[in-house]
Amino acid sequence: MTQVLIQGLMLSGLYALIAVGFTLIFSVGRVLNLAYGAYLMLGAYVYYYLVQSLHMPKIAGMVLAIAVGALAGWLKYKLLVKRLNGDAVAIEISTLILAVVLQSGVVLIFNDSSKILLPIVNGITRFDGVTITHNLLTASIMSWLILGGLLYFIRYTHMGRAIQAVSMDTKGAQISGVDTEQVNQLTWMISGALGAIAGVFFASYTQLSPSMWVTPLIIAVAVVIVGGIGSIVGSLIVAHIIGFMEISVSTFIGAELRGVFTMLLIIGVLVIMPKGLFGREEL
Amino acid sequence: MALLEINNLEAFYGMAQSLHGISLNIEEGSIVGIIGSNGAGKSTLMDSIMGLVNTKGSIKLEGEELTGKKSADVVKLGVGYAPERAHLFPYMSVYDNLLVGGITAKEDIDKNLSMVLDLFPNLIDRKNQETGTQSGGERQMVSVGRALMTSPRLLLVDEPTIGLSPKVCLDIARALRKLNEETGLTILITEQNVNFAMSLASHIHVFETGELRLSGPTDELRSNPELAKAYFGH
Repeated sequence: MTQVLIQGLMLSGLYALIAVGFTLIFSVGRVLNLAYGAYLMLGAYVYYYLVQSLHMPKIAGMVLAIAVGALAGWLKYKLLVKRLNGDAVAIEISTLILAVVLQSGVVLIFNDSSKILLPIVNGITRFDGVTITHNLLTASIMSWLILGGLLYFIRYTHMGRAIQAVSMDTKGAQISGVDTEQVNQLTWMISGALGAIAGVFFASYTQLSPSMWVTPLIIAVAVVIVGGIGSIVGSLIVAHIIGFMEISVSTFIGAELRGVFTMLLIIGVLVIMPKGLFGREEL
Repeated sequence: MALLEINNLEAFYGMAQSLHGISLNIEEGSIVGIIGSNGAGKSTLMDSIMGLVNTKGSIKLEGEELTGKKSADVVKLGVGYAPERAHLFPYMSVYDNLLVGGITAKEDIDKNLSMVLDLFPNLIDRKNQETGTQSGGERQMVSVGRALMTSPRLLLVDEPTIGLSPKVCLDIARALRKLNEETGLTILITEQNVNFAMSLASHIHVFETGELRLSGPTDELRSNPELAKAYFGH
């Protein structure tokens, strides 16, 4: 039971970090950014290249990976999303295609074999018979710090309130003096940066591969559908439900079934509560 | 020079033209009413001033051209807008809604907040309430309050009495008159409620199907037979 509690808590923090950038974009732009998983892949590969190939310091690798993620988010908004002018279906299809194109780019540069991303922090600790890797512990703590910072930013700063305002009523925000274009650009950059950080942590927890964007995308979609698309707090709570559920299934039933229960949860919530457990389309 | 000068304004929603050659001036320190039925173009005029629809022609605020500017820039230049149906942020508190209005006038936030709460004391006890759970009257007060948080020189108020009780209409009229008398704020108000508009405005413009049909001082228009027939039935 201790193992389920500790590992569930750590995995949930990571899942929350993965989902929150996806939620942010949907809330503000009403866009299901299906290329979101590609930010994670991009961030992880940039970090891998800089730290394990060029032997740069880990902190520099992380900062540059975040910068690349933010740039990717900004470029996607400027070159794709803005030009498609609110056509949700076209945006969703094109973002999915973009993810596949980025995957091909990664295969071209790094080939298609899986790679091990060395732990960001080495070492293990044993607590009550449970092995805790310092890497996942760091990922979890960092996730919570980042999520706490993001929630503070959204709730208590002028720009955060502007982001909330755009997510709830674009016209209301415009006539209040909010520069909605600036808010959109910033939101896509934050989403890209969050995806890149999550990607580094996720790859160090699992592995690096060109198809690694699919699983985090499924996690993000699962968290926001079950939580209620657009609700950051709902997403954080559901990330814990899914994280604990996956660890419980792995521990008590079988690791091969952990994803199946997540899918069943999505279907169940869609049928019974289509707006999600905390469903309302705002931050 | 008038505070707001509109010349030969045309407005378009896609291919549909909603305003046809509107020209009018708003003098500084005045309250001006725009009246007309549904579809007359009143809200379109407001949205045009705010840069929310495609327009041709000219809209100048103290000589500065507003057409082609983003809404955020129009707000920065000194135009506050309380639109029809309020367009508040329903899951944010009254206080946070007002703070969003203060984004372009951060240095005036404390002063403006105190002015808004003085104008609408009902909001003091409700400042932590989400606006989505408020009554129509309270939402209208927050909407006007949010517009005032932008430190406007010109306040646009679009159909403030729609769906509200007579008591709340009176409260809003009192607040707008107080604002105009005590601060000299210029107010442009649109209304279907002709009595409400005439009780506040010194000058009235009558819109019909996107055109300006009639203009004049309120006292003159009150006895205008065309207007009396259209709005008072005699």
